[in-house]
Amino acid sequence: MQAHRLHRPLRATLVVTCALLLFAVSAGAQVHLNVSKAFGQKVIVAVPLFEVEGGTIVDPSAVRDVLEFDLGHSGFFSIVENREFVDETETDDRISGRIAFQEWSALGAEILVKGTIGGDLSEVYVEATVYDLAQGKAIFGRRYVGERELWRDAVHSISDDIVFKLTGETGIAKTKIAFTSTVTGFKEVYVMDYDGENRRRVTRQEAIAVSPDWFPGGQEIVYTLLLPNRHECRRATLDGQGSRISAFPGLNDFASPSPRGDEIVLALSKDGNTEVYRLRADGSDPRRLTFGRSTESSPCWSPDGRRIAFVSDRSGVPQIYVMSSSGGTARRVTLQGNYNTSPDWSPKGDLIVYVSRVSGVFQVCTVDVETGEVTRLTSGAGQKEDPSWARDGRHVVYSVKQGGKTDLYMIDIYELEPVRLTSGAGDYQSPAWSD
Amino acid sequence: MRKNLALAVCLFAVFAMLALSGCGSKEEVMEEPIMEPSDAEDVGSLTGDDIPLADVSDDTVYIEPASSVFADIYFEFDRYNIRPQDEAILQRIANWLQENDQVRVMIEGHCDERGTNEYNMALGEQRALAARRYLVNLGVASARLGTVSYGEEQPLDPRSTEDAWSKNRRAHFVVSE
Repeated sequence: MQAHRLHRPLRATLVVTCALLLFAVSAGAQVHLNVSKAFGQKVIVAVPLFEVEGGTIVDPSAVRDVLEFDLGHSGFFSIVENREFVDETETDDRISGRIAFQEWSALGAEILVKGTIGGDLSEVYVEATVYDLAQGKAIFGRRYVGERELWRDAVHSISDDIVFKLTGETGIAKTKIAFTSTVTGFKEVYVMDYDGENRRRVTRQEAIAVSPDWFPGGQEIVYTLLLPNRHECRRATLDGQGSRISAFPGLNDFASPSPRGDEIVLALSKDGNTEVYRLRADGSDPRRLTFGRSTESSPCWSPDGRRIAFVSDRSGVPQIYVMSSSGGTARRVTLQGNYNTSPDWSPKGDLIVYVSRVSGVFQVCTVDVETGEVTRLTSGAGQKEDPSWARDGRHVVYSVKQGGKTDLYMIDIYELEPVRLTSGAGDYQSPAWSD
Repeated sequence: MRKNLALAVCLFAVFAMLALSGCGSKEEVMEEPIMEPSDAEDVGSLTGDDIPLADVSDDTVYIEPASSVFADIYFEFDRYNIRPQDEAILQRIANWLQENDQVRVMIEGHCDERGTNEYNMALGEQRALAARRYLVNLGVASARLGTVSYGEEQPLDPRSTEDAWSKNRRAHFVVSE
């Protein structure tokens, strides 16, 4: 059977060998199902335990947990709550050999995802079929095959397929988050799946690594390394192969790759003041974009690459400004508060997320670039820092320092319920979401 | 205190070696070196003996050891301007650097924990640059003065108190050679 083949992400990106539609229903045409529901209303999905073929290769309840987490945090779905009824109905289906659409609908479900996992110790396959319960028919099916330890990637892929097929939106289940951790006693760059799993270390510098960000494509990181007496801006592949981009005297910090990945913007102080510069991704051809005696730092690109947001204290306190990516006059976009830093521009183009000091506590806010409308996303006592957008322009990851420990959280900007992603010893800081 | 003392001893030893090897200033060098290398070619085997105080003549010119010159300077919360009370320190540093014109200095900028990590990295650099600019205006060649920011990554005092914060908002001078 031909299928989507998963490869170890370190070696190669997902290679689609052949698209397989288990059901030739509405092939090619996207099914935008029920998403014309009123804002905030979600499609209710039932996820029974996946069937196991050929022995217990992967715990089917772990598979369900991952798929439910993915769909439940996509922003579009809610999960049928009573698993007992879900499992009973699934058992009835298996005994009868047919799908009791009415029974599933009676549970409140609108969509049903049935799946199978199987394989052997070296290779695993995960397949799922998605049914529209109201119409009583299959919408589409997908099958992924790969090395056994990639089963999570397979489930994330199925979730993104479901989100895309049913809403036309790009899911985030296959994305990754880069961050820094002090768990070794040094500060190193790590990456993890967006749900906090599969943590692995990228740098082994045994120094202080700060401000990681992704090159487009999710295969390379840019970060700044603090060495005795100098800062280096470096790039590294996920398996740790690295090279230096810049090591000018002073700062080489807050690097942000352009949407095409061929350039970066960053802050340098080589000319005697902290200013924003643009250079090629190999470190050549630095061009200064800001001038003045104030501090200009923390630049990031707009998704079309035509503008740059950055922080300046030219008003006396740090605020967010926007200018052309070739420099020139900057416009202040944060008009409230006296400490606004760490901008990141939404992939949708409309909002900038940033950190604002509100009553002495750092909170994550968004500002509409055109209207200036500010929305606060977080509340409570913990200090929130370094927000970064997911590619859906809907989720934001950030750090929270509370009780002497810093962990990473994500939040849906329409639902505002923080989800904790890290735990355990050490601090987790400076998250950056891959595309 | 113990750490400061060790640093003082180190810096003094570095300075003494510089002075002895002729890299330092000329006329102002003490007439009777306190430490005489047993072998002038081999500075690695310095020996030292106390000399009776009576042997020090009144016209000996003392050079301030670097450790007493390169004191940290401090900053107000969220600011990087030089405070008036630190100007005398910078003046002494500039004088010393003019007397010891082979010495390079790395200026470290540090912050307390209260800003965002990201902005503090820029703020630390601005503090180091402010000190550097001040020294350049006093005549020190800019090529001798490097800057490096540690943001809030290396606090002198890790506690979360006003006292700790005010100690951590500093520019620190490291004499490199």
